[in-house]
Amino acid sequence: MKKVVSLLLMLGLLGAVPALAHKVNLFAYVEGGRIYTESYFPDGRPIKQAVIKIYTADDLLLQQGVTDDEGLYACVIPRFVDLKLVVRASMGHQTSFVIKKAELEVGR
Amino acid sequence: MKNTCLFPFLALLLMAVPAVAHFGVILPSDDIVGRDEGRTLELQLKFIHPAEGQYMQMEKPQRFEVYRGGQREDLLPALKAESFKAADKNTNLAYWRAAYQIRRPGDHTFFVEPTPYWEPAEDKFILHYTKVCVSAFGLEDGWHEPLGVEIEILPLSRPYGLWTGNLFSAQVLRKGQPLPFAEIEVEYLNEAAVGGKLSFPAAPFVAQSIKADGQGVFHYAMPKAGWWGFAALSDADWKLQKDGESKSVEIGAVYWVKATDLP
Repeated sequence: MKKVVSLLLMLGLLGAVPALAHKVNLFAYVEGGRIYTESYFPDGRPIKQAVIKIYTADDLLLQQGVTDDEGLYACVIPRFVDLKLVVRASMGHQTSFVIKKAELEVGR
Repeated sequence: MKNTCLFPFLALLLMAVPAVAHFGVILPSDDIVGRDEGRTLELQLKFIHPAEGQYMQMEKPQRFEVYRGGQREDLLPALKAESFKAADKNTNLAYWRAAYQIRRPGDHTFFVEPTPYWEPAEDKFILHYTKVCVSAFGLEDGWHEPLGVEIEILPLSRPYGLWTGNLFSAQVLRKGQPLPFAEIEVEYLNEAAVGGKLSFPAAPFVAQSIKADGQGVFHYAMPKAGWWGFAALSDADWKLQKDGESKSVEIGAVYWVKATDLP
């Protein structure tokens, strides 16, 4: 029984490591009327060719694009409201990042 | 007779231990900045006995910098002096504060090189090169990079996101090379205690003492939530002048990490 528990624990651990290493991160900032995004794994590897979508707070899709090989994507501010950015990498990993209207106004 | 001789000796030792443990401190308002949190860090720079809460006067540092993504940013102009009345002193003392706006993801290693502190009781200067790392927006890319300063502690464990009881491992580097058998003191920052201040049943509990291995590597399991300081002490191979005389300089590499209780 102990061996089974240990094996399950080890499998659990092995399973857990890639999930962390593949954790998708998204950061965005506003400058000169544009939104700049960076998509990356925790160790700094870029998330390449991932789809980024920009929504209003009530999930209306405003803009969509794809990250380049450095994990970057930029676009003109689509609307001056609170925005939710979502990046989806392969294997269904995704995350979001919110930019408040006030931040858009500052970076206008 | 033996006991009679030992007693004053022990009493002297008990008195001596707290005086040994000077620590430079960089205390950030947070060690992990997430996407839904405020992005302004408040940083305090102090020179104290962290466990016992005794403060020393801190002159304006010689360097105060942040390193992120291989870039160095000078933060010296952002420093503001704060004057306060320490409970154990008659005069006002100074420490330093700065606000820093996190603008990009990545590990932010803050570093201070203070102005050398003259300690008359030990007839030497004390100079503690102090670091702390703040994580921002999930990019964990720089905590294991040395800064290349005179003496420093290089974490081998990621220095944030640590649970209470986790083992913190690190290496002491002197001029970029491992410092064999370095001596490290460990103290709890009682002014930022989590869940009540630490009290000490005997003097050796105030500062824990560790000897690194031949590669300068040491380990410590933090038993309480809050900030823990690690100070690796050595003597400089150069002197400083005091009233026309050459005086020894104790150089220390200090690193601060925060332990958090399991929810």
